Formats: sequence, C-alpha cells, structure tokens
Amino acid sequence: MREWGSDSSDAAALYVFAVCDAPDPALFADVPGFAVGGPLRGLRCGELTAVVQTVPAADFTDEAWQARMSDRGELERYARAHHHVVSAAAALWRTVPLPLATLYHGEDRARQALIAETERFRAALKRTADHAEWGVKVYAAPPPTDEPSPALRASGSPAGRSRPVPGAGLAYLDRKRGIQARRERRHEESLRVADTVDAAFRNVAAEVRRLRLHGPELTGTSRLQILNATYLMAENRADELAPLVRELRERTGAEIELSGPWVPYSFIGEV
Amino acid sequence: MTDLDLEREACPIPGPPNSNLADILERILDKGIVIAGDIKIDLLDIELLTIRLRLFVASVDTAKKAGIDWWETDPALSSRAARDALQNENRELRERLEAIESRNDDTRTAR
Repeated sequence: MREWGSDSSDAAALYVFAVCDAPDPALFADVPGFAVGGPLRGLRCGELTAVVQTVPAADFTDEAWQARMSDRGELERYARAHHHVVSAAAALWRTVPLPLATLYHGEDRARQALIAETERFRAALKRTADHAEWGVKVYAAPPPTDEPSPALRASGSPAGRSRPVPGAGLAYLDRKRGIQARRERRHEESLRVADTVDAAFRNVAAEVRRLRLHGPELTGTSRLQILNATYLMAENRADELAPLVRELRERTGAEIELSGPWVPYSFIGEV
Repeated sequence: MTDLDLEREACPIPGPPNSNLADILERILDKGIVIAGDIKIDLLDIELLTIRLRLFVASVDTAKKAGIDWWETDPALSSRAARDALQNENRELRERLEAIESRNDDTRTAR
C-alpha cells in the first residue's frame, strides 16, 4: 500500500501534517487523511513523531495547489482534511501543526529536515503545553439607514442637479460634512469597543495575535467586523471565557463571536 | 456543569466542530513553524483567497453602496484615505462649480 511505482505518473510525495511527542506512532492509523493518499501514519524523527501521509506527487505539485486555490470546494476539502488530522493528533498528544502543504520527496528527506528542527519543535511544544487558542471576533452594527450612502445619493435626484435652489451647493457641503462627522464618531466608537474587548481578553490570556480584519466579502454587509484576534489561553482558564463574553456583550452592546478551543496554530511560530 | 466537565471539554482539543473555512484558512496558511519542504508551493494568503474564491456573502461593491467603507477612509487603516481626502475636496469643488454654472445657464435660458 505504501509502495508507489517508480513510473513518474504515480510517483509519491510525503505530506507532513504535524509533529508531536507521540509515544506510539501506530495509533495514527484510525484517523483519515487526504482521500487521495495512503493511510495516515507516524514517522519517528528522533525523539518526536511526525504525522505523515504518502500522497500521489502529481496531486501535490505547485501547479496542483494553484488550481486548487481557484476551486473553493477543492480547497475546502484539503484545508479541512489538514485541520482534522492536526486536531485529531492534538487531541491525543502535544502537537506542533505544520502549515498546509508541507511536502517532502520521501521519508528520509522528511526525517532529515524535521530532526534538524527538533529544538524549535521542542520550544514550541513547551510554549503551548496545556494551552489552547480561542478566536474572538467583534462586530459593530452597520450605519443607520437614515444616513443615505454617497453612492445612492449621487445617482438619485437629478432634478436638483439641473435646477438647484439657491444655496444648494452649500447645503450639499454641509450635508457631506455631517455624514463625515457621524462616520468618524461611529468609527471612534468602534475602535473603543474593539479595544475594550481586546483588553479584557488580554487580561486572561497568555499571548495574543491580531488577525487581519475580515472585509464585507466575508462578514456580509449587515455587520462590520471591528476586531479579529486570537488568544492563547491556559486550559484551566477556559471556563472563564463564556462569562467574559456575556459580560462584554452587555457592557459594549457589540456582537462578539468566540471560537475555540483551537490547536494553538497561531502561537506556534516564534514572533 | 461542574469544573470537571469543563475541563474535559477544554482538553483534549478537537477544534471547533462548526468552524468556517475562513477561520481554518487563516490558521493553517503558513502560521506554524516555517519548515522548508522539498516541494516549493506558493499558497495565497487569506485575503486573496477570499477574493478569488468568492467566500462572499456579498460583493465589495455592494458593501460600498451600502456605505460600509470606513476602513478605506481612515488614514490609520489605509493609504488610500490620504489620496481620497484630496479627491473628495476636488470633487466637492467641481460639484459646487457645476451648480453655479447650471444656475447661470438657467438664467441665460430664461432671458
């Protein structure tokens, strides 16, 4: 099953999902990996064990990934499979996830590369031991509807354009200034709410990473994301999170989304 | 719920069951230890993937029409803001001029 022919069309590559301090590599056999590959297995790399899968090299070339990144369904299948294996390993052992699409030509190459990084893996394991990652997203309400957008107003009321009443230009400018001022106030308020929520979580977290804010293409237009952050939390403090979110919702009136516990993906790399 | 239950919930870590694709992608794209693999693969970042794959609830243009664009007009968040400030002023002046000119035109036609 693990042997692949030497013919280039079915040449094999070795996909590495994660590295962990697993005592028994054989236990990986029950977890599914990518549908196209062989069974998931452990690869002993010195004192650590890598979670690996032999996959058809042709499906994991740069070209194949470029095509995959244009196909939402495909990318989602691969992303979720990767995430599932990492999470399954982390459920059993202390685990360092590797980024999506880490591939080697074979076991020897992988073992050689991973053993060379043993110290970094050990440091990451130590830093994240007994901790989990929790994502926090905060959304503000959209602008009130009594404030028409510039785009809508520009396309409307052509009558006013051809025959403006005296002082129409000035009124227009005043209106524009009013909209701008309201927008700035709303923006400042959003930043204040984001800071309040962030500060409260920093208070209970070991580490924090701010992620890029999601634009409306991800959040929809009915709400505005004002904080996207992720926190490394000691596992024995996880029960403080739900009450904290409730309290912050009441205090700020903002919509707050908590996701987790995640394998501490965002806290593995040295920063 | 007892403390014991919570502890069991928090550890082991299965990952949130209903996590959305963007949440997963922003964590698994090159966020771990950077290890050089044998096969060089250039993955897009989450923003580019989002745009290309249309994980969209609505398009960016739709959002702009709804006035949800403050991140583009905040100098702290965008270098576009500085440019836009000038363009806005320019446009306002042009619109004002247009209004005055059309008033003059009306007066002329009325004569």
